[in-house]
Amino acid sequence: MQVTSSVREPLVTGGKTVHDVTEDICRQVEGKPSKSWMLGMAVSLVALLIGAYAVFMLVWEGIGVWGLNKTIGWAWDITNFVWWVGIGHAGTLISAILLLFRQKWRMSINRAAEAMTIFAVICAACFPGLHMGRLWLGFYWALPLPNTFGSLWVNFNSPLLWDVFAISTYFTVSLVFWYIGLIPDFASIRDRATNKISKMVYGTLSFGWDGAAKTWGRYEFVALILAGLATPLVLSVHTIVSFDFATSVIPGWHSTIFPPYFVAGAIFSGFAMVLTLLLIARKLLKLEDYITREHVELMNIIIIVTGGVVAIAYATEFFIGWYTGVEYENYTYMSYGAATGPYAWAFWALIICNIIIPGTLWFKQVRTNFITSFIISIVINIGMWFERFDIIVMCLSRDYLPSSWSMFYPTIYDVGVYVFTLGLFFTLFLLFSKFFPVINMAEVKSIIKSSSSKKN
Amino acid sequence: MESNKHFVLGIYDDEDVLLSAVRKVKESGVKIHEVYTPFPVHGLDEELGYKRTRLPIVAFLFGLLGTTLALTMQIWMLGYDWPMIIGGKNFASLPPFIPVTFELTVLLSALGMVGTFMITSNLKPYGKPRLMDKRCTDDKHVMAIDLAKNDLSQEDIRSIIGNSGAQEVNLKDF
Amino acid sequence: MTEERFSFTAGAKKTLVILGIVGVVLFVLGTVLSMSGGHGHEAHGEHEETALNAQESASLLASADAQDEGSAHAEEHGEAEAHEAGHGEHHESAYWLKRIYSNLWVNNVYFTGLAIIGLFFVAVQYVAQAGWSVGFLRVSLSLANWIPIAGILMFVSWWLVRYDVFHWTHASLYGPGGDEILQGKAPLWFWPMESGSALPLFYIVRMVLFFALWYMLFVWIKKEIFAEDINGGVDHWRKTRKYSVIFLVIFGFSSSVGAWDWVMSIDPHWFSTLFGWYVFASWWINGLAVIALITVVLKQNGYLSIVNANHLHDIGKFIFGFSIFWTYVWFAQFLLQYYANMPEETVYFLQRLEVGNYTWVFYLNLILNFVLPFLLLMTRDAKRHMSLIKVVCPIIIAGHWFDFYLMITPGVMKLEGGFGFMEIGMLMIFGVAFLFVALTSLAKAPLYPKNHPFLEESLHHHI
Repeated sequence: MQVTSSVREPLVTGGKTVHDVTEDICRQVEGKPSKSWMLGMAVSLVALLIGAYAVFMLVWEGIGVWGLNKTIGWAWDITNFVWWVGIGHAGTLISAILLLFRQKWRMSINRAAEAMTIFAVICAACFPGLHMGRLWLGFYWALPLPNTFGSLWVNFNSPLLWDVFAISTYFTVSLVFWYIGLIPDFASIRDRATNKISKMVYGTLSFGWDGAAKTWGRYEFVALILAGLATPLVLSVHTIVSFDFATSVIPGWHSTIFPPYFVAGAIFSGFAMVLTLLLIARKLLKLEDYITREHVELMNIIIIVTGGVVAIAYATEFFIGWYTGVEYENYTYMSYGAATGPYAWAFWALIICNIIIPGTLWFKQVRTNFITSFIISIVINIGMWFERFDIIVMCLSRDYLPSSWSMFYPTIYDVGVYVFTLGLFFTLFLLFSKFFPVINMAEVKSIIKSSSSKKN
Repeated sequence: MESNKHFVLGIYDDEDVLLSAVRKVKESGVKIHEVYTPFPVHGLDEELGYKRTRLPIVAFLFGLLGTTLALTMQIWMLGYDWPMIIGGKNFASLPPFIPVTFELTVLLSALGMVGTFMITSNLKPYGKPRLMDKRCTDDKHVMAIDLAKNDLSQEDIRSIIGNSGAQEVNLKDF
Repeated sequence: MTEERFSFTAGAKKTLVILGIVGVVLFVLGTVLSMSGGHGHEAHGEHEETALNAQESASLLASADAQDEGSAHAEEHGEAEAHEAGHGEHHESAYWLKRIYSNLWVNNVYFTGLAIIGLFFVAVQYVAQAGWSVGFLRVSLSLANWIPIAGILMFVSWWLVRYDVFHWTHASLYGPGGDEILQGKAPLWFWPMESGSALPLFYIVRMVLFFALWYMLFVWIKKEIFAEDINGGVDHWRKTRKYSVIFLVIFGFSSSVGAWDWVMSIDPHWFSTLFGWYVFASWWINGLAVIALITVVLKQNGYLSIVNANHLHDIGKFIFGFSIFWTYVWFAQFLLQYYANMPEETVYFLQRLEVGNYTWVFYLNLILNFVLPFLLLMTRDAKRHMSLIKVVCPIIIAGHWFDFYLMITPGVMKLEGGFGFMEIGMLMIFGVAFLFVALTSLAKAPLYPKNHPFLEESLHHHI
């Protein structure tokens, strides 16, 4: 028997029954797409098409069309890569780490968050691919394949190669984890389907699921072990992304705190993106009883905690930069020189968006309000973009040789490729929200008895 | 149509009633074929007497395979097949090999375990499930009893299930 | 629920006293041995095979500490400065005394960590609204009773050990011809006093402030928790939760700053941005192991029947998971410094890897804190059985003592650090004192909170 303390807030409101859960979630999949969905899809497709032009030009002309120069060899491309990978962390965090910690509130949000993870990782993967210039040779550079360039193997000492393994493993395992969770829900849709196409499609997708207790028993173990594997995996992915910078000897990049600090930052931005998406979804898909004020507050609390960790990391970076006594440290992204130099605007954008504005979440009124939560979640995403921009561009712009100091100015192709990934992300997410159950029905059903508010 | 399999189905709508029903039905000497539920019911597999799955061992072994493969690959490629000095380190130095080793360990462990789960649970695309009652993926728990495997008469079984708290008692033939 | 009380019996006290006496004997024996043994032999004589390595790294250390050499001259010239002359700082303490000081500092930091993690664990459980841990929350809380003692010990012994443990306290490093790097850092320790002052005000203020804040929050939290036993209701729970949040915010910063002050500044030229979290990770997993071990021992003596295999399973998972987390932090710090290969950073690891006295500790650290817990706690059954918890926790507790030994000793003792009866003896003395304080306070109140709003959840906890 499950016992839930009366101190805890209900996780499902509106006195829903188990059957109501099936009805509410399947309605979206079975009905016609709404007007707002069509509108969103149109906007996303336009962004995707405009971006596709930028991508085409990039591949055709080479990465010279970007605003990179001899000093700043990485800029928007890797900024966007890290930003997307970071966003892609929340899904696995919610489904794996919160599963291990038995946080039941994750059940309403994990499906959408995992979908977000997968799409964000796809967007992220575009950038390392594209920034290689000759995309079609990428496989030889990134994978240990026998080739005709001399029998040179890939360099396993390179963090960039570790990235290839980390991102592809992360993508695969997240996809598998997500799909395993979807199987029982696909079976629910299959058994309700009225037309032939739905029956066939969801019948195929549900892998012949019948809900037998034996299978459920195994299934729960699989989920638990996948969570146990995905937890260090999710940590390792952003750790390895941070190694891209931290193994080097560029001032500001070479910092031992980078691995856990990047992970905390990733969760911070990932949760912000989950909040952005779910606050829209709960309105458009009428999920108010499943994604409640309590959920929003708990997500905001995670944002406070990870934001706090990030703030401590900033303070540490600032302090140790001074503590080393190395003069070059005064030009890193987190230093007095940064706060007053030519990129001061980017520095302050970071501080304001990542520390000051999210700081208001300490007030209960702010973190339980849907509108302020929505605004702050977008601000954090902007702030986390600036964090990566600052780390990459500011640290490169002023390192050891003052004669090489430079600034970075983006071209329309820098912007265009970013727009491409944004379009891709929202297109995929909208497709998901139409054709897949956006809430994990099976899991939510399991807590209806213990955590649903009673009908009066 | 001649059917050769006959099941008595008990339909329940509450997981705690279901758990006590399973206990009662087993105590009356009826062998339960399987219980179908819309969501995982905590403690049900123990109640039914299922052994704990050995999938964790599978995961561990696949993980070990991944570790071995990754280390062998890296040490052979960079240490023996085409040695190069990179960053002043040894040809095959362990610390930089750890990340890839870790990733491949996780990858093989996860894929191996999920693959084994799919095979042992007979989950595959185009798999045709033998559904006892369609509502078992919606909101009802379905207990199925194979008549051929029980000595009691159908009437007795029906009454045992009826008394165990079932909402409905049905018969299903395949 | 009925109350359950722990009685700290005369028998248990006697055992602890005997252990303490054994510790004192070992400590005295170790001291006498190190007084008469002549330390040169330990570093070079007994480890002939590593002597070469030791020399190599000695030259490495010398080049990295070039500024120190400069400062050595300065020390000679600095005699003229009257206000510095009286501190006796130019004469290093005798080998055996230095070793005691170094060891004292290791235990100070180690047991401070245990005490503060006792409170940290409680605070985290409250903030996270965790229900499963209610049964042994008070075991964790009892550890925090050491906070004031740890603070006093640290404060008092600091004045004793400073010139031997903290190189930066030497006044001659500052001023003309001194150590430029340390001069740049000096405000961190001496502000607003003059660099090299006998009173590093900023440093001392931080130490006092942190312990005062920790103790204050501990008193507040403890008061609410025990008031709940009498009054019931959820108000005390809510208040505890509020104080816990305040504590966590304070702890977030103070634990990092404490780690820089008390451990990282022992190697004053070396730096690692991750160090604060590394120390935290070590403290945290160690605290978890101690909480689990005390809980299991209490259970085996017939207490805490409300804690069953499911709760042990959970804390076992915590220990398993955070052992891996510690390893992750360790690896992140090691790999980045190893990979970039910058002399001012690698000196730290060379000192610990290449000096024969420490090489074995370096690897032992990884074996005790990662390999063994990882292998032993992997299976589900291992986490549910008290016998295995009783094996793994002492391994971790010893392992993290070595972790702190490895952080502190090479910085203080350079090539001459040793491990023997003295270290074991002092650890036993500290350990016995710590347990005495914790168990005495545990006996003063019921063993578990009977009015805790999540008690019912904890009783029905099943995984």
